[in-house]
Amino acid sequence: MNASRPLAVECIGVSKTFALPHDTRSNLRDYFKHPFKQSEVEQNRVLDGVDLSTYEGEFFGIVGPNGSGKSTLLKIIAGIYRQTSGVVRVFGKLSPFIELGVGFHLELNARDNVRINGTLLGLSQRQIDDRFPEILAFAELERFVDQKLKNYSTGMQLRLAYSIAIQAPFEILLLDEVFAVGDESFQEKCQETFAGMRAERKTVVLVSHDLDWIGRYCDRALLLRGGVVQETGPARDVVELYLEQERAALAPEVPIS
Amino acid sequence: MLGEHCKALSASGTRPRSGAQLPGASLRDSMGRAEKVSYRAGGGTSLAHRAHTVRVLAGTEYKLRYSGSALGYFWSIAKPLAFFSVLYVVFGRALRFGVGIENYPLYLLLGVVLFTYFADATNSTVETLVNRSQLLRRLSFPRMIIPISVTVTVFITLCINLVAVVVFVAAARVVPQLDWIAVVPLLLELYLFVLGVSLILSTLYVYFRDIRQIWEVLLQILFYAAPVIYPLQLLPSWGQHLAFLNPITQIMQDFRALVLDSEQAPTVATVYGHSAMRLVPIATVLAIFALGVAIFKSREPWLAERV
Repeated sequence: MNASRPLAVECIGVSKTFALPHDTRSNLRDYFKHPFKQSEVEQNRVLDGVDLSTYEGEFFGIVGPNGSGKSTLLKIIAGIYRQTSGVVRVFGKLSPFIELGVGFHLELNARDNVRINGTLLGLSQRQIDDRFPEILAFAELERFVDQKLKNYSTGMQLRLAYSIAIQAPFEILLLDEVFAVGDESFQEKCQETFAGMRAERKTVVLVSHDLDWIGRYCDRALLLRGGVVQETGPARDVVELYLEQERAALAPEVPIS
Repeated sequence: MLGEHCKALSASGTRPRSGAQLPGASLRDSMGRAEKVSYRAGGGTSLAHRAHTVRVLAGTEYKLRYSGSALGYFWSIAKPLAFFSVLYVVFGRALRFGVGIENYPLYLLLGVVLFTYFADATNSTVETLVNRSQLLRRLSFPRMIIPISVTVTVFITLCINLVAVVVFVAAARVVPQLDWIAVVPLLLELYLFVLGVSLILSTLYVYFRDIRQIWEVLLQILFYAAPVIYPLQLLPSWGQHLAFLNPITQIMQDFRALVLDSEQAPTVATVYGHSAMRLVPIATVLAIFALGVAIFKSREPWLAERV
């Protein structure tokens, strides 16, 4: 059914192995002491043959327990990590929001930080200058524009970060739990921006533990467990399967008398 | 089936819909598992934006260096001048190193300013990848932007220090010559050398933290190995030949030969008695730069997981 829709992100048989040396010899003394000793390296296979394809305009969720490789998969798609084997293809301009506020400097004010953060996210100087009032207004920080960031509360910093992030030029957005920020009213604003992205047919790939959110907003989802894809399908079905598995795992420990 | 989705994209980054297969990648074998291909369309940043990013990061770095200090940018010029004064009193006055040199203060200042740039820039970049691990682990951008922006930051300081040199030049009543324009390629050579060394050091530091200490010791040795404080003529002939293996010596002496005169600052050509020998230090710089780029590029995909 999807054969005619244009692909946005495709992973074919993506595997990732991290080499975890047991005692890292990061200084020369250790090399002199045991020059021929190979330090024990544990090969930790985080992803094993992951296949994923998401189409233009789709909201695609990735769910799974902690340590199942969700974030690693996202970072490989973003090009931050390099896969050990497999093929990753991205069609379109991709923007990763693995964490908000990358490159923020607490000693600088909002204007400087918007410039740095925006530039790192791919905005030109012109775009930053044009959108600066809009960014501040969205973050509700107009009054604090000349304050150093260290005088901002955590919530204020996150609001500023989010406001810059949504201005980045992208066709494909990768999100790692970052939308779970701010208070109730800011959350609502975030929901509005998601609705806007949907209207503009942006592709969103997101990792979240908020299963309710995934079930409600995502078209399709993928269940990852131990680095292996257990299920890909309509978001509600995948979330349901995941919840069932979790309940089954919990059941023997919580006997109902 | 895969071939339908992908095709070589035009530079404009339009979306592929059908057509020929991705060049250089055969994707039809079983699951493509043996392959390691990353393919991005429209995801790269333009050269202009990369240059802009370097500018913004270097400007920020420069601002942060002196933020919070009362005298601010003044320190970037005061530090090498203070260092120069100490060296001048000890080596110029007390030990009389500059006896054979007509304008020893200027000779010394040029050496100090140029060497300070080399030392400062390389020292600041050694740890830079590890210190910016937050950036590396969360965004994908050409990683070389980080060491480049740090070396550019220190280069701004060098330019300010060269203004101090101009003041000394004026005070010494040296008349500027047209051939002084040659300092531009010399500065470019110095920058390439610094960047090449910095790329090597910052990559190695990710794997061996001892590099920090080793480099500090090496810098001390290099400071005395290069004719920063003493006239090159003080060395025996073989020592002069040896000194020119270091491109810093060549750059320093060429600078001095321009501003003072080549009688007082023998260059690589006069020491070796052959003008073709000028090419040797330049070739060394290019080789080190190429090596730096090659080492950095080869480790680039794995930097994020190692820092």
